[in-house]
Amino acid sequence: MKQAWRHLWRSRRRSLLTVFAVLIPVFILVLELGILNGENKSLFENTVKFETGHLQIQRAGDRPEGGALPLIDDPERILAIVDHTPGIAWRTVRLDLPALASNGSRSQGILIQGVVPEEIGQVSPIGKLIAEGTYLRTGEKGVVIGKELSSLLAAKVGDDLVLIGAHPDTGMGAADVPVVGVYTAPDPTLGRTMIQVDLGLAQTLARRPGAATSIVAFASGVAGPWDAPKIDRVVKELRAQLPSGYKVLDFRELAPDLKTFETVVRPIHVLFMAIFFILGGLVVLNTLFLSVIERTRELGVVLALGASRRRVMRMVLTEAFLLALVGAGIGALLGAGLVGLAESGGGLKLPGVYSDFARVMGMEPVLHMRVTLSELVVSGLAMVGVALLAAWVPARRAAALEPVEAMRHVD
Amino acid sequence: MSTNPVMRTEKLVKTYKTASVETPALRGVDLELCRGEFTAVAGPSGSGKSTLLHLLGGLDRPTAGEIYLDGVLLSSLSRDALSRLRLDRIGFVFQAYNLIPVLTVLENTAFVLELRGVALRERIARARKILGELGIEKYANQFPNRISGGEQQRVAVARAVVAEPAIVLADEPTANLDSKTSLELIDLMRHLNSEHAATFLFATHDARLLDRVSRLVTLEDGRIVRDEHRVKLAAARA
Ligand SMILES: Nc1ncnc2c1ncn2[C@@H]1O[C@H](COP(=O)(O)OP(=O)(O)OP(=O)(O)O)[C@@H](O)[C@H]1O
Ligand SMILES: [Mg+2]
Repeated sequence: MKQAWRHLWRSRRRSLLTVFAVLIPVFILVLELGILNGENKSLFENTVKFETGHLQIQRAGDRPEGGALPLIDDPERILAIVDHTPGIAWRTVRLDLPALASNGSRSQGILIQGVVPEEIGQVSPIGKLIAEGTYLRTGEKGVVIGKELSSLLAAKVGDDLVLIGAHPDTGMGAADVPVVGVYTAPDPTLGRTMIQVDLGLAQTLARRPGAATSIVAFASGVAGPWDAPKIDRVVKELRAQLPSGYKVLDFRELAPDLKTFETVVRPIHVLFMAIFFILGGLVVLNTLFLSVIERTRELGVVLALGASRRRVMRMVLTEAFLLALVGAGIGALLGAGLVGLAESGGGLKLPGVYSDFARVMGMEPVLHMRVTLSELVVSGLAMVGVALLAAWVPARRAAALEPVEAMRHVD
Repeated sequence: MSTNPVMRTEKLVKTYKTASVETPALRGVDLELCRGEFTAVAGPSGSGKSTLLHLLGGLDRPTAGEIYLDGVLLSSLSRDALSRLRLDRIGFVFQAYNLIPVLTVLENTAFVLELRGVALRERIARARKILGELGIEKYANQFPNRISGGEQQRVAVARAVVAEPAIVLADEPTANLDSKTSLELIDLMRHLNSEHAATFLFATHDARLLDRVSRLVTLEDGRIVRDEHRVKLAAARA
């Protein structure tokens, strides 16, 4: 170990360069993970706030035809259970109903969210995303639609829309409803398809007073998707409590897109980073190869004295290990430091275009980054592993030297 | 002197083959080295001195013939076993001092003990003791490039004997030293030879060293042409 340190020290400049080559990939990977986590978090937040919540309670059983959810006739009974379950930060009742929205000759298939405005207002950002008009008030007969739908139907604030709800269990219900607000959606599909009305109106359209389709809830203490275990705990608890005939779905089941991020998007990014790791490994390989060639004579002596080939390999691998450990350590710390610094300054301000875009969407024009200790450790260890693998080649070469020939080597 | 042979060769032949030429370096060497002998191998350049030492030390394998070290047939050993045998039974001193530059004098000396798995405390103590005997204890914490050639070669001798090998093989250990330093080094080796009953075999060009040895083997053209025991001479000197 001491010997390895001194060798590295003897060719400081090269060692430093190698440390740098090992440091960079780890540093970039940590930043990348930081950004990915940030993106994942905003994707998560958009999804859970606009659509799914952390979890929902629905009636069990197959969805009836037409994509409608089965109706819960006495949501109060379920709410009482939810309110007694620890770890729930917030809940509301929602009635989701597929419907047709028409303005004159134009119509569009949409999904109605029948909501309790003052409850959902605490969580759903739609209230803050109103571009024209106002948000819903409880008991008000009105509808909030997305910008996209507004232009599709050529409906402005004050125009009446005809909403025709069709629930397979109850039949059709229709109402003339004035547009009270137009919101800006974080994604156009949402803006084209999702509208909100007061729960009472939705019940009328579903022809089932007092009914709902889902109880939407948030678990407490969840800052991002990485806190999913807290949600899982609540889900488990609820599953134990609920009477039969009901099911609890978590955000992953409700929004498969979120899972795609975890199973596809992040792995692809991380895999891409493998290129940098391989480059770092090649630099380690090159450095140790040079070092082995330079020290041919010395290694010859060590072998002549009777050192085993394993021992000689270990000498080379130890150097690789030290270089990689130092480089990866510094890289991980620098990455974590930068992420921490950016966060302590309130996140990275997004540049120009992105910032405007974010503001239009009612989000902070800031990229929040986050990296966990285990991600740091895994990033660093991955580099150390790659370095050791790369060092295998020069180590084998060193161990294969013939002592007599090696000692004749002039350096 | 005991007649117990430490090392024995039988019709040792070594022929170096390169793409086009075959160079016969040893052409049938029969040699017996006894415990406690202090033997020089002399001979003109190219006579096969280094080749012989490499074969005896298990650093290279003969083309034909056999070598026995304390009754063990070297050719029967695998590469790894041969390496282990070098570590346990043989001490080497090379012409170019060949110390490990990043290790101090003490660490260089203790290195073979470390390879053998001797505990740290013990190897430091043993290395210090031998450095003291060779009069270079004061350099214990110096790096090799900070001391003279003669001193470096003494460290090499210390490294060769510290693990108390069956035989110490030295290939022209004084070739890079001036004559005064050379004589001092040989005297030190002679001292270790008599104090520790260590068996030495060294190759040399230098005629001035030859009156210090108890036995002189002369090689010419890969054959032993003379084998003189000089017990009396050595005894007279002592
Ligand atoms: N690796 C090798 N490949 C080919 N020929 C070799 C090799 N090593 C030695 N020889 C040849 O073998 C013969 C004996 O060489 P060796 O080095 O044993 O002689 P030496 O007595 O040690 O000479 P010197 O006094 O110059 O060191 C020489 O002719 C030499 O050229
Ligand atoms: Mg020679």
